[in-house]
Amino acid sequence: MENTIVKIEGLVKRYSELIALDHLDLEIKEGEVFGLLGPNGSGKTTTINCLLSLLSFDKGSIEIFGRKMSPTAYDIKRDIGVIMQNVAVYEELSVYDNIDYFCGLYVKDKAVRKQYVEDAVKFVGLEEFLKFKPKKLSGGLFRRLNIACGIAHKPRLIILDEPTVAVDPQSRNKILEGIEELNRNGATIIYTSHYMEEVEQICTRIAIMDKGKKIAEGTKDELKRTIKNTETVTIEILSLPEKVREETGSLPHVYSAEYDGARLTVRCSGGKHNLIRILEVLQKNELSFGRVYTELPTLNDVFLEITGKALRDKED
Amino acid sequence: MFLHELFYQIKCSLKTKELYIWIILFPAFLGIVFKAALYDIYNRQTKFETVPAAVVTVRDDPIFSQVTKGINESEDPMFSFTFFSADEEQKALELLDSEEVGGVIYLEDELSMKVKYDGMKATMLKTFIETYTFQETIIKDAVMKDPLGYQKVADALTEDISTVTEVPLIPEGTNTNYMTQYFYNLLAMVALFGSMTGLRKTVESQANLSALGARRSCSPVKKSVTTVAGLTANFIVQSLCMVFSVTFIRFVLKVDLGDKLPMIYLTAVISGLLGVCLGFLIGSAGTFSEDSKEGISTVVSLLMCFLSGLMAGDMRIKIEDRIPIINRINPSALISDCFFSLNMFSDYSRYITDIVSILIISFIFALIGFVLTRRRKYASL
Ligand SMILES: Nc1ncnc2c1ncn2[C@@H]1O[C@H](COP(=O)(O)OP(=O)(O)OP(=O)(O)O)[C@@H](O)[C@H]1O
Ligand SMILES: [Mg+2]
Repeated sequence: MENTIVKIEGLVKRYSELIALDHLDLEIKEGEVFGLLGPNGSGKTTTINCLLSLLSFDKGSIEIFGRKMSPTAYDIKRDIGVIMQNVAVYEELSVYDNIDYFCGLYVKDKAVRKQYVEDAVKFVGLEEFLKFKPKKLSGGLFRRLNIACGIAHKPRLIILDEPTVAVDPQSRNKILEGIEELNRNGATIIYTSHYMEEVEQICTRIAIMDKGKKIAEGTKDELKRTIKNTETVTIEILSLPEKVREETGSLPHVYSAEYDGARLTVRCSGGKHNLIRILEVLQKNELSFGRVYTELPTLNDVFLEITGKALRDKED
Repeated sequence: MFLHELFYQIKCSLKTKELYIWIILFPAFLGIVFKAALYDIYNRQTKFETVPAAVVTVRDDPIFSQVTKGINESEDPMFSFTFFSADEEQKALELLDSEEVGGVIYLEDELSMKVKYDGMKATMLKTFIETYTFQETIIKDAVMKDPLGYQKVADALTEDISTVTEVPLIPEGTNTNYMTQYFYNLLAMVALFGSMTGLRKTVESQANLSALGARRSCSPVKKSVTTVAGLTANFIVQSLCMVFSVTFIRFVLKVDLGDKLPMIYLTAVISGLLGVCLGFLIGSAGTFSEDSKEGISTVVSLLMCFLSGLMAGDMRIKIEDRIPIINRINPSALISDCFFSLNMFSDYSRYITDIVSILIISFIFALIGFVLTRRRKYASL
């Protein structure tokens, strides 16, 4: 039903020794919010820069809107909105002028441009800051300005590279809602992030990257179904004899039980009554315990199962 | 699209703080310092100190006495006379011997004079006596008619002597190349500092040099359009700075830049082009940060200005003696020489050589810049 908007095939990018992208294939359909999820250094930005024809690559092909992408493919570029990881605005120009400048690179007609700029300002909620210089904006507003500059010309395809880095929760929500709205209005979105919560929240399809490779792809439910983990049970417990931990670990459906001195984390696959069986073991051994909670699998679990390491190191 | 780029690039440049600090305030400040310092040096070097002289009155002449006293009392006097009677001649001669006076004048039927040795002071005294003797009747006449006129006579006499002995009394208005040279170099500095803003524009349009460059490269505007619009904006703003500098030096500091003022403005604008092209070159060469490039361009500009005599006026002459080729290719030397020859020679041949060299160098810089910024895709960002 949908058209293919972006097609990347066998993309290889080397930085001398380092292989930043290793035979990457991606296909993005019209109307999707496509999430590119991966830890720092996994090659998300490199992918985007190759896609935009800023970076040369060693192998592979890139098509956008069914046409070959190149630095001089101006008609393709006209329909792309870019929000770079590093904020790119003119320090000397006011908020309004920055948006107008970038919009004017795409839109010739002055009246249309004026309307578009006003729409963009409203969209990111910078109405009160039109005369401000970018430096005077808070981190969140600064990022929102960057977004406004990227989307003002109402592009068909919007590429956002970690737009929520260093943003307060309020701005972050505003940004995420905005992206969903852009999508509702018809734009296809490519969204990179290393925050799985964001990607889970807004993306209709997700590719997980690690070390330049795509290690999984699908909707978030599809991704979670691929792994055996269906439930993670965490129990606060003051002391746990090794024997009991082993006993827990050998319960049916339990495939890992870890104790870190304060919490017992049990990962289970399939089956019901997992929690009851675990608690029974603890009771039988007359161990008292504190809070108990269970979690459904997250994308982090997906990443963890495929790569054997966490998506990111604890909270950052 | 070109006009859109141009408009915003100019707007950006005009809002850059560095522009005002480095291209306007700093040179204006230097100009004021130069003016103050050089005016002082100039005064001390060329305006002679008051020449002390002894007058031995053998036969009294009230008019001569009045005129000399008038000179004594005038502001900033050329001579200061001490009077002795004929009996005191010995005292006067002693003063001459100890060089406390430049000469001893004998007021007899005719004026005569003794000096210890010839020199500027002796010449001036001699000229004074000659002028006085020559104009004695006119002077007497004038003083007779207007008893208070001796002061006027005294002033007129010193004025006459100063023209005869070629002592410039007022530096202002005289075409003094020694001093103006510094201002030519100052203009060259302003021109070359244009490289700083030129460089910034270049960095901001290269995907591998700045986030802005990367972002702009994603737009559907041709890179050549972006580059040319940036350079044009730069040149326009730099021209404004050059016009400001010339105006400031000429009309605020009141430095005489000669009578070909429109040509001076034109030359200033052309030299600004050289600065912009230099910035384009530095901006496009190598991938180091904007800050280091700014450092490089400042050092390069100041070095060029140093070699052409911004800090020490005789630098260029020393170089001309030893390695003259430097003066033929040093942009700063060429620029200041342009102004110099405009001012000095009615013939334009030297000026034309200079200005053609400037244009050629600008062209070479720009050409290298275009070659270096031709890439559209980079191996690394
Ligand atoms: N210009 C470069 N030269 C050499 N290596 C580079 C260069 N740019 C990126 N790399 C390397 O390529 C790999 C992928 O980098 P990339 O910036 O694409 O990661 P990323 O997924 O965007 O990470 P982040 O979440 O930190 O933005 C990293 O190992 C990085 O160190
Ligand atoms: Mg990145």
